[in-house]
Amino acid sequence: MKVLLVEDNERVAGFVVKGLQEAGHTVDHADNGREGMLLAASEPYDVIVMDRMLPGQVDGLAIISALRSTGVRTPILILSALSDVDERIRGLQSGGDDYLTKPFAFGELLARLDALVRRAQVNPTETSLLVGDLHMDLLSRKVVRGNRAIVLQPREFKLLEYLMRHADQVVTRTMLIENVWEYHFDPQTNVIDVHISKLRQRIDVDFERPLLRTVRNAGYMLTANE
Amino acid sequence: MSRVIRSSAFTLAFGYVALGIVALVLFAAPLWYAWRVTINDGRTELLQEDTQRLTAVFRHDGAPGLIAFIDTRVGMQIAGERILLLADASGKPLAGNLPAWPAGVPLHDGTYTVPMALAGQLTDVVVVRSTLPGDFHLLVGRDLARFKPLEARFWYGLAGAVGILSLVGVLGGLHFRRTLMFRVQGIGQTVTAIMQGDLGHRLEIKSSGDELDTLSSTINHLLDQIEQLIHGIRNVSNTIAHDLRTPLAELRSRLEVLALTQPAPAETFAEIDASVADVDRVIRIFNALLRLAEIDAGMRRSGFVQVDATLVVAEVVDFYQPATELKGISLSFRHAGAVPVAGDPVLLAQAVGNLIDNALKYVSPSGSIVVEVAHRDADTVEISVADSGPGISDAEKPRVVERFYRGSASNGTPGIGLGLTLVEAVARLHSGALELVDNHPGLRAVIVIG
Repeated sequence: MKVLLVEDNERVAGFVVKGLQEAGHTVDHADNGREGMLLAASEPYDVIVMDRMLPGQVDGLAIISALRSTGVRTPILILSALSDVDERIRGLQSGGDDYLTKPFAFGELLARLDALVRRAQVNPTETSLLVGDLHMDLLSRKVVRGNRAIVLQPREFKLLEYLMRHADQVVTRTMLIENVWEYHFDPQTNVIDVHISKLRQRIDVDFERPLLRTVRNAGYMLTANE
Repeated sequence: MSRVIRSSAFTLAFGYVALGIVALVLFAAPLWYAWRVTINDGRTELLQEDTQRLTAVFRHDGAPGLIAFIDTRVGMQIAGERILLLADASGKPLAGNLPAWPAGVPLHDGTYTVPMALAGQLTDVVVVRSTLPGDFHLLVGRDLARFKPLEARFWYGLAGAVGILSLVGVLGGLHFRRTLMFRVQGIGQTVTAIMQGDLGHRLEIKSSGDELDTLSSTINHLLDQIEQLIHGIRNVSNTIAHDLRTPLAELRSRLEVLALTQPAPAETFAEIDASVADVDRVIRIFNALLRLAEIDAGMRRSGFVQVDATLVVAEVVDFYQPATELKGISLSFRHAGAVPVAGDPVLLAQAVGNLIDNALKYVSPSGSIVVEVAHRDADTVEISVADSGPGISDAEKPRVVERFYRGSASNGTPGIGLGLTLVEAVARLHSGALELVDNHPGLRAVIVIG
């Protein structure tokens, strides 16, 4: 995918550019708001990473609002050192699609960018999801793997739906907490891991090929690929 | 001098003096008016009565009789007090105490005020002129000079009153200002000392309990609170320094040893992973501190909505259920239907989550955690998390909510010592409190929302 990074801190930018390139993506880097705005408005990007505090007292949110008002619909991830819940809300209200607080793990950034690009491509009105032989009907809320119907609790259903919508992508624990439970705190115990292993029991046990995999140091991935 | 004029005490005194003078004038003016009118009217009446009496004498005894009467009257009375004059048609005086008919008196009968030379001095005189049968002219009058000293005394009195009032006012103002300046300067000195860093100073309070005392005691309360806050901040900075230094020191030595020994790649990567974990711990402490600051500043109160406490807590219990099952601990939830409260659902969830997290850490397998949402009374809601763990001793209860304090049972368990601090802050944000009570055995943590 093609990424635009608007970030004035050279070291953070260098680290993100290097990481994204190693993951096989094309990255353009702008180190100020003006250049970022020009690039974002003229080039077709799959996703934009926007820092909030840019040189010359420019707030990344102002640039996002300006881009949105000129009709740019590219998904935008906001990078910020401001972690308040209110700041996060402001960021999303200005037209951002996701909000990541500095400092961050690169795996988290990559997973979120993948998720954003995927979300932009997915048809939101689809009524069923399919990963390998696992089928989810969103209308009747039924899940079937192979020939066997799988019964899920409402929250398990939501968790599986999120994983299926992001199939073949790494999904981090934080992404699950924020999107499935809508919490904004870190449980100290391995609560998410336990939820995943319960889900794994329902969809993977008794099947030859497991779909739900753990990605070391990053999170989880639901995939039918080898 | 300009400082004296600008001082509020002087302005106040000056204002009162001016007000006093205005009041005095307002009081004197009608008095003066009434006095003038009464005296003038009375005098005119008297003169007219006199004229009538003289006219009656004339009717009864004719001109010679009146002349004799007037002569007797003039002989009896004190000179200059009263003017009597009877003249014939040509204006030649027949009797009375004027040498000639005065020039200024109009020709017609009536009452007039005319200037007249009396005893060598020109004074205003009130006269009644009347024409008697046979073309005799009668003039009865009274010299106004007699009232001049009285009038002057009135004005002197008034001026004196104004003078005394001004003097007393100015002296009072100066005295008032001196006392006020003295006390205001005292307050200023104390506040300056405090600004220079000595927070121990307090304003002096006199026993009189006046307005300045009320102000002083309010300021003292403010100072108490500031001192407490600063003490808290110092305390927090010390503990933050300590608790951040520990993982940073570990990280530093880990990296240093790595650079020094340059071990095999596999071991190097393991050490790098461990370093990242150290950094994550520091970040977690930062995030928790920032969240605490956010809550303490009361900023989240803008995010308050009407929420069902039962639903919020039920979801948290649901969230932790699999983790407790895995440890063999029973997690149960008791409630009696919807309990609406005004609050921040995200923070309430985090607070309850922290309490369950804590319980999970300390309860041994096959133990139990009971979460309950209930009304304490009509206005108070309590959300409690009770466990069968080791509990917290009474001596430690007040300390566990302090930042970075970790209870004696926490040895070896992961954590940064901010969990209960955050729960307490969330409870306070919701105008409530965190109560820690014995569960016999174990701990019952209660978030009371008022």
